[in-house]
Amino acid sequence: MSYEKCVRCGSCLQFCPMFDATGEEQYSPRGKAYLLQVMDQIEDDEELGKEFRRLLFQCSMCGRCEETCSSGVDLLKVWHEQRAKAVETAPEEFEYLEPLKDALANVKNIYGLAEEDRAIYWLDELEDEIPGLADRVYEKGKTAENIIFVGCLMSFRSSQIDVLRSLFKTLEKLNIDYLVMGAEENCCGHPLYLMGDEKGTLKLREHNKKVIEAAGAKQVITCCPGCLIQLREHHEFENVEALHHTQFFDRLLEDPPKYHQTEEFSYHDPCELHRILDIKTEPRSLINKMGIEFREMDLSCCGGGGLLRMTDPNLSDLIIQLRAAREKVKETTVITACPSCREQLLGQDLETKDIVELLSSSLEGGTE
Amino acid sequence: MRIRDVVIGANASMYYKLNFRKIKGVYYPRNTQEVIGAVKHAQSDGFTVTPKGGGSGLSGACTGGNDERVMISSLQMKEILTVSKDQGYVDVQPGISIDKINEFLNPMGMRFYVAPSSRDIATAAGVLSTDGGGNDTWVNGTMRDNTIRVKMVLYDGRLLTIDAKGVKSNDPDLEARLNEIGVTLHDVASSHGTLGFITEMRLLIRPVVEETLIGGLAEFSECNALGKVLTDMIERTSPVRYGEAITTAHKDVREGFDPPLLILEFPEENEVDIRDITDYKPLDSKELARMKDIRIKLPKRNPNEGVQFALFEGYGFHGDSLLNLQDSLNEVEALLNDHGMKPFGKYGHGPSKWYLGDNTPTYGLILHSREIRPEGKTGEELLDTVLAIVDKCEELGVTPKPEHKWPFSDAVKKKRLDDIRQVIGEGFNPFLLSPECNDVLGSMV
Ligand SMILES: Cc1cc2nc3c(=O)[nH]c(=O)nc-3n(C[C@H](O)[C@H](O)[C@H](O)COP(=O)(O)OP(=O)(O)OC[C@H]3O[C@@H](n4cnc5c(N)ncnc54)[C@H](O)[C@@H]3O)c2cc1C
Ligand code: SF4
Ligand code: SF4
Repeated sequence: MSYEKCVRCGSCLQFCPMFDATGEEQYSPRGKAYLLQVMDQIEDDEELGKEFRRLLFQCSMCGRCEETCSSGVDLLKVWHEQRAKAVETAPEEFEYLEPLKDALANVKNIYGLAEEDRAIYWLDELEDEIPGLADRVYEKGKTAENIIFVGCLMSFRSSQIDVLRSLFKTLEKLNIDYLVMGAEENCCGHPLYLMGDEKGTLKLREHNKKVIEAAGAKQVITCCPGCLIQLREHHEFENVEALHHTQFFDRLLEDPPKYHQTEEFSYHDPCELHRILDIKTEPRSLINKMGIEFREMDLSCCGGGGLLRMTDPNLSDLIIQLRAAREKVKETTVITACPSCREQLLGQDLETKDIVELLSSSLEGGTE
Repeated sequence: MRIRDVVIGANASMYYKLNFRKIKGVYYPRNTQEVIGAVKHAQSDGFTVTPKGGGSGLSGACTGGNDERVMISSLQMKEILTVSKDQGYVDVQPGISIDKINEFLNPMGMRFYVAPSSRDIATAAGVLSTDGGGNDTWVNGTMRDNTIRVKMVLYDGRLLTIDAKGVKSNDPDLEARLNEIGVTLHDVASSHGTLGFITEMRLLIRPVVEETLIGGLAEFSECNALGKVLTDMIERTSPVRYGEAITTAHKDVREGFDPPLLILEFPEENEVDIRDITDYKPLDSKELARMKDIRIKLPKRNPNEGVQFALFEGYGFHGDSLLNLQDSLNEVEALLNDHGMKPFGKYGHGPSKWYLGDNTPTYGLILHSREIRPEGKTGEELLDTVLAIVDKCEELGVTPKPEHKWPFSDAVKKKRLDDIRQVIGEGFNPFLLSPECNDVLGSMV
């Protein structure tokens, strides 16, 4: 077990957003690795077991600990395995996750909404503005070079509509051959993966893979780093490349029109994008190509990952509040490239823009 | 028992299997008043108190042993309080890490010159309580040399301010008694949390020195030659700004290098002086950074098979034991071997400086040591090995654990701490000074 390799040096403490927000060692990666190391001494104590299982879900799976650790502890893997074990050992403690699991099993989206409605909300909203959008929705027999994987959050939440609008407008403007998976899209399985429920994800992945391959797509593009983790790392495509939208546009555009900048920007790099998927250069390259000036925020977590919004919303809020205050971003517009981060930022009334929103307005000739 | 009572035991030493039921309270105070509150809780219930910082110490002192105790962490006391560039000091809370202090000072062109490899997590008070140092201790001294004064809460809640000259207290009688026995900052240095809880520190800061430094790598066929070079450097007070020796390193982590070697950084204008002492291969800034990175990660990286552990953190080679470094090391290795230990790495600061229990400064090589954790050895067996090492150190004229001291065997320091505790009370970390200390530590391996 790789937690045995932890030398308890403490280097990871200061990087963990949970420790930063709570200030107590049990929330830290070292603390949890230590608990695993001394588990033989405490496992008979039911209350401690319960507390430990809860702690495993008070983590945003941001991967900062693993990045810091020089001792070769695969911390993210440890957290995944331990989460799976926790849910298996005491399912009654995770009853609050059941509706999510049921929704994913029954209607294949995290909100429990009708499967066929997956392309309804945004289509209703955007159809008039983007002529021909309805034809872009995948149906059996349709093929395209690129297929857009929208993801649950962006399919159903009105707070994401501006990003989708910009994404589609940009694709249209650049004459991209694309389809949107629409009602044929299943959740990518990331939430189940974060619970350690590997089995549950298989059916979802299988279906998505079939659709994407049937559409003859060479590239599947998503704005959501969580979906991309699943598509790139776990769908086992043979001839399809899974890309983040910033990668796709950065490759495509050598010299996009300059953005007409009137506001101050800061950039929040989503953890799953830069740390887990190792996509660091493309988002920045795209912003730079548009001539946008921005300041980098800390390479830290917004508190929106790892299911933390479900498992401990207060802690999740505290993390983003602390960061917003410390990094003085109230006066700026926070650029990001992840629907979950966007939700976190909007939740604190912070101005935020996805990179594709900036790109769309550059292509249109300036800010809206 | 709550999970926070268990987790407070997390520390980098091999003494980590605590009897958690003996932990009667865990506090993360933010200010002196909250520290006093926590100490009062301990006192009124007859519990002892153990201060904890980053938990990176390697002597097991932040565990508190096996007493019924209250643990007070300084990790929420991490503010910079005031800074005076002109007068050259910064006032900090005790739980701030060394890196954070320098992050704050950097833009002002100032620096706090103590650099343990663990500076990302080691706290100001933790480093003073072990009198730690780093790769530049040779030039800049140990933590005590860079501390101007500390404020401390005692077991009975009274407050002390201690500097190099003596003690001030809100209790004149206590002040007089402590000054009578000559208590100074030297006593706090390396006291391992046995006196009180440090709540505030005034640290010496200096302008960042603008000088052009160059790097070099000296390689040796055996360690006596390395010992001789370090001895020469000490005798000539060579202006080495960074000196790190690696005498052995496991093949999985040494990245193709072949110790013994000495990584050096020194002012360009002293090139000839250094060349006069040792041959070296010049390193450009990238190569030097790489060597430093290899070195700083040695205490953390693991071999492909097995896990490293700190059986006995360090050896202070000085005088004859440094001049005959290879011979001294052979004896240590033979002892480790006899006790079934497989070496992982030996590396450390040289030339360097440390203080003996009677506060005499000593100069030599602080060689850290890591072994591969042996399977199937009992805590008792491991502690027996540790005690055999302490005896061996005595025989060889080597200081055991020069950075952390080994309060458990340093009779002079122990006696001094005992004397002071007669005056201020004995509620803080008493296990370290008790006759059962070795047994207690053995039970936690
Ligand atoms: C990877 C690694 C590298 C290291 N490299 C070095 C090095 O280069 N040089 C070096 O000197 N050491 C080194 N160490 C050892 C360690 O970092 C030092 O001993 C350090 O000084 C401990 O600081 P800490 O804050 O972690 O203290 P802790 O380990 O928490 O505590 C150490 C002692 O200080 C006492 N203490 C802590 N806070 C207070 C307080 N507020 N009031 C009173 N007493 C207190 C504790 O009771 C304990 O006795 C290394 C350790 C590791 C794990
Ligand atoms: S950085 Fe790695 S070895 Fe150090 S405490 Fe964290 S998990 Fe353990
Ligand atoms: S993944 Fe992030 S939140 Fe979780 S323990 Fe590691 S650093 Fe902390």
